[in-house]
Amino acid sequence: MPGLEEISDLYGWLKRRIKVSRKALRLSNEFGYRPYMIARYKEMLGTWNEVMNLLQAFEGSLNPVIRCNSLKVRDCSRLFNRLEELGYTLKEIPWCVECAELNSNEGVASLGSLHEFLLGLYYLYRGKASLLPPMLLNPGHKDRVLDMAAAPGGKTTHMAQIMMNKGVVVATDISRRRMRALRSNVERMSVHNVVLVRTDARNIPSIYRAYFTKVLLDAPCSGEGLIMVDPSRKAKTSLKELLIFHNLQVELLNSALDAVMPGHTILYTTCSIAPEENELVIAKVISSREDTVIEPVDPPVPHVKGIREYFNIEIPEEMGRCARLYPHISGTEGFFLCMLRRL
Amino acid sequence: MVEAVYKFFNGALPMEEVEGLLTGYTPLICEGVFREAYLLSKDVLEPVNILLKSGKIPYAAGMYVGRLRRREPYFIPSTDFLQYVYSSLGRVFKALIVGREGLKPFLYGKDVLKASVRKCIPPIKKSDIVGIVGEDEYVYGLGLSTIENCNEISSLRRTDPVAINIFDVGWYLRGGTEAREKKYRIE
Repeated sequence: MPGLEEISDLYGWLKRRIKVSRKALRLSNEFGYRPYMIARYKEMLGTWNEVMNLLQAFEGSLNPVIRCNSLKVRDCSRLFNRLEELGYTLKEIPWCVECAELNSNEGVASLGSLHEFLLGLYYLYRGKASLLPPMLLNPGHKDRVLDMAAAPGGKTTHMAQIMMNKGVVVATDISRRRMRALRSNVERMSVHNVVLVRTDARNIPSIYRAYFTKVLLDAPCSGEGLIMVDPSRKAKTSLKELLIFHNLQVELLNSALDAVMPGHTILYTTCSIAPEENELVIAKVISSREDTVIEPVDPPVPHVKGIREYFNIEIPEEMGRCARLYPHISGTEGFFLCMLRRL
Repeated sequence: MVEAVYKFFNGALPMEEVEGLLTGYTPLICEGVFREAYLLSKDVLEPVNILLKSGKIPYAAGMYVGRLRRREPYFIPSTDFLQYVYSSLGRVFKALIVGREGLKPFLYGKDVLKASVRKCIPPIKKSDIVGIVGEDEYVYGLGLSTIENCNEISSLRRTDPVAINIFDVGWYLRGGTEAREKKYRIE
């Protein structure tokens, strides 16, 4: 079985090997997916039973989550009580004391326009997996953090909160429109330790080479893990387009590694379950450089290890240290997390 | 920057208190469509300097203090900076305390009417920028005073405006955005 470094045309390789069976075709028609996606799910999950569990989980809804902003709120329980008085039903998240999950999607639109929201007393997320990257990276008061592709700022403001507005987060995004949203959220939430830079994050090492002590790369992706909140993603991305994301993600991860100081960590995440955007990106990067290792990551939700084989491509053993979140296993949006260390 | 902040509060804050608020920060002035000011901590200053040396500019950095102007009002603070001042000093001044029923229309861009003003805290004079503060002591926005002093409120009708909406925290949600082409210098 070849490793990824031995495959020069990944698109051609996958195209030839992704066979859409009659069952995959039937399920793609029934659930509205592109047929190649269902064939991939069988390859990733192993059994049709698991594939059905995943497809059914994607048909469900995702409970929104709020994060109380302790930079502005002294006692988060008072904020939660206030929201309950207004009619929202909140549920604790055991692994995030400043966070709460809404019991349903009802009334969520208004949560984004309450006075408390406008004042920056909380941040609103579509699902709880987005809370994990800042918590796992866990930046401290003295860290110099790079947040690549940072807009609209959920993770930037969360890291600033964990850092108690100390140290610094350099947050970048390429889009002018999304940059406005990022700035608005940073100001709304009284975040004072951030430098916002509108640039292509691939340019960052030319400005800050080996400068940061921690890097978060929540990479732009197909969003294949967010089908519950955006069903259009069932049919949005072709295999060719998926590999365009793959190439961008490889470049961004290489930039992240060039921007971090030797001995320090990078957390790579996506809201996608596509191996092309996750394990194959990590494998491609670590096979091309000798200064990178994968560190274990252990998110506090049920998860599975990164996959080791995909359409006859051998994926390095240490990929098992990365974590995959599937909606039917984790009760979250589909997500991928992998911690790397530059040597 | 110290002088602009000192003048803004009409002497309600002694100069040493203003200096105390800004201690440990380096001002960053942005010259563009507007003249905007930021305060940078030591940790934030270093990557900003590296960025500037590379010929690039930050989109924003540190704490946004507000706009500096060449004519009155010479300084329009950000709601975040005003909140920082009130929270750091533990007191609210140069502000109108507004009830929840008045904050709702204010957050849709409406003016503050006499009926919703719970308290007027001097120093306030006509055409001054004043903090619009809720009974929860959070800053909801900024208004342009229509009154010469707090005593004048008693002579107004319930529906008379006391402050014209300049900025409120609902502004971005309503779709407010502005191009910010910038030139920076560190003072």
